Amino acid sequence: MKFNSTRYLPLVVTVGQVVIFPYYIIWLKQVSLTFTLFAWFFASFSFAAAWGYRIYQTKKNKERSFLFLIYAGMGVVYIVIGFIKNSYEYLPYIVLPLQVTLGLLQGYFRAWHSEQDTYHLHAVHHYLIVGFMMIGFSFVKIISPVVFITIFGVLLCICGAWEFFRIGQLRDPEKV
Amino acid sequence: MQSLSKLVKTPWFLGCLVLIFVAVVMWNIPIEKRKYGLSQGSLVTDYTGLLPEHIERVVTAENRNDLQRIVKQANENGKKISVAGLQHSQGGHTYYKNGVVLDMRTFNRILDIDEQEKTIHVEAGATWEDVQEAIQPHGLALKVTQSQSIFTIGGSLSVNAHGRDIRFGSMAETVKEMTLLTPEGKIKNVNRDDPDEWMKYVFGGYGLFGVILEVTLELTDNDLYTIHTEKLKTNEYESYFNRVLKQPDTAMHYARVSVAPSSFLDEMVVINYDHTGNKNHKSVLKKEEGVRISKMALDAGRKGGTLENLFWATQKRYIASLDGKEITRNNAMRSESTFMEYTKPGRVEVLQEFFVPVESYDEYLTDLKDIIPADDKSHDFKVHNITVRYAAKDNFTTLNYAKEDMLGLVVLIQHGLKEEDITNAESLIQSWTNLTLEHGGTYYLPYYRYQTKEQFKSSYPNWQDFQEEKLRKDPNQVFQNMFYEYYVK
Ligand SMILES: Cc1cc2nc3c(=O)[nH]c(=O)nc-3n(C[C@H](O)[C@H](O)[C@H](O)COP(=O)(O)OP(=O)(O)OC[C@H]3O[C@@H](n4cnc5c(N)ncnc54)[C@H](O)[C@@H]3O)c2cc1C
Repeated sequence: MKFNSTRYLPLVVTVGQVVIFPYYIIWLKQVSLTFTLFAWFFASFSFAAAWGYRIYQTKKNKERSFLFLIYAGMGVVYIVIGFIKNSYEYLPYIVLPLQVTLGLLQGYFRAWHSEQDTYHLHAVHHYLIVGFMMIGFSFVKIISPVVFITIFGVLLCICGAWEFFRIGQLRDPEKV
Repeated sequence: MQSLSKLVKTPWFLGCLVLIFVAVVMWNIPIEKRKYGLSQGSLVTDYTGLLPEHIERVVTAENRNDLQRIVKQANENGKKISVAGLQHSQGGHTYYKNGVVLDMRTFNRILDIDEQEKTIHVEAGATWEDVQEAIQPHGLALKVTQSQSIFTIGGSLSVNAHGRDIRFGSMAETVKEMTLLTPEGKIKNVNRDDPDEWMKYVFGGYGLFGVILEVTLELTDNDLYTIHTEKLKTNEYESYFNRVLKQPDTAMHYARVSVAPSSFLDEMVVINYDHTGNKNHKSVLKKEEGVRISKMALDAGRKGGTLENLFWATQKRYIASLDGKEITRNNAMRSESTFMEYTKPGRVEVLQEFFVPVESYDEYLTDLKDIIPADDKSHDFKVHNITVRYAAKDNFTTLNYAKEDMLGLVVLIQHGLKEEDITNAESLIQSWTNLTLEHGGTYYLPYYRYQTKEQFKSSYPNWQDFQEEKLRKDPNQVFQNMFYEYYVK
């Protein structure tokens, strides 16, 4: 509770993920074209999330949770999506590993988040914030889902950097 | 149960689950992802989707009486009707603005197989695949069909298709009898001696002279062949092919010309199917094989430049590996097709076919080098594949593309969908068509109409006869499609 980053960053990430979800779904639908493939993409995300969740839960040293890498990793996935040109021949082959990476990181993040003191408060706040944000977004004429996905990717990378410097600040006094 | 829940808790187990699942999905990512045809929203399209159009409704063909009623009503109330098989034709042949489309796909029963006479009586919405499945156990095979079995009989006869067989003439010649729903709503049985010459107009008639309901097709034996392959220089092909024609041992033949920059239009591979003297009643019909690998190779070739050289080298190696292998006639007539799917937004892949008299082949290909660039890597208009087939002289149908013995060059082309890309493709294909005409050739009509009306008229000098007979046989012009509207009307 002492640090702003623990208080706010997980909320930003959680809210952002839910807000970006509709855009992400539109993009994924365009990529997969058949419902079967669309469902398989989700299944791969889900399996990977279970894996990520368990990796965090079975972790011995939970203090060293590498959250900056998790944020940045998710950010990079969203930015990569922003750069992908719709070249359908190979796209599904690229999307599949992206889905797995995203699932793994999100599962890991969720497991970490649920063990934080702020988690239950965040849960309530995030529902409210998402609700208001979605109403706001409904007035924005969608440019292209990829634009929003990329912006969110950049935001996550900033969160990653923030978290990285926070760790640095924590460590410095220890060295003295 | 307990051990299972323990297992689920271990990260390595979940990791393995993810990896296995991903591998399975990777292998099964569907290749056919495009949506085209009668079910697409309010606009219908065909194989390439280049001509979306609004239609009034689609009627699924259930029985001949329903179809007859629809045609009679259309005569009375001025409705327009188009006929659709599997819509692999690419120039709006199967629909018309605000018209009714008869979807013939459900009209697909096999009615009779006569082993003694070697004939099959079948409904026209059946695919060649349906026919092959029915005749295979009887040791029989088709006389003429395309190299793939994915088309309907009605659709194939209406374009008078051709394929790898070099002995049995045109597809139209293999039809003994046909049941036709005429534009006036009559159901007629017609044969080759019919005084009204219905067959002459219906075959190669693009659905404009009525609905083919049933046909009786002549069959032959499902012989076993040995595949014989060879590499040639393009200028050796003409004499090579004439030798093949004189040598009765070869039943089927086709060839491929290089479109790779390093050997552009200079190298060829030929594939012959030679009689072994044996029949094969037991072999099974082959399924699509190696689709994923072939698609990846083709996709690489589609990029042009070095990758296209590599693709050509791979093709040569693959074709050489077939040398000496045995194959049944039915299997030679059902090549893979799914790997050809192309789904890049903003681009389209189309087919064109040009026919030239056999003796003009060499000079034609030499002149073609001046029209099409050898390396199309940086060009929007890309040529991916040219297959060469033989189309024997056809005196029977009106819109006949083989006025003498011809070699057909089936060309797979890709271009962008921006206005300037389409204009560029049009102008290149028109130049290509002019060259073909200069060499005494013609072009095939089931594909997208890049050509001008003048080019159509020069290619098909009987077009006026076609037009007059259309008005005689269908005075209310009930049967319509976009092909007719553009070229003939
Ligand atoms: C990948 C590919 C490969 C091809 N290879 C070859 C080849 O090797 N050789 C060759 O000759 N052609 C080839 N073609 C062209 C193909 O043969 C034609 O497009 C053929 O018409 C396809 O059959 P379909 O069932 O899809 O017909 P459709 O496209 O549905 O219809 C074609 C025409 O037939 C009419 N029609 C359909 N059913 C009936 C009916 N029951 N009665 C009256 N009219 C009817 C339609 O109105 C239309 O004018 C190829 C096409 C593709 C896309």
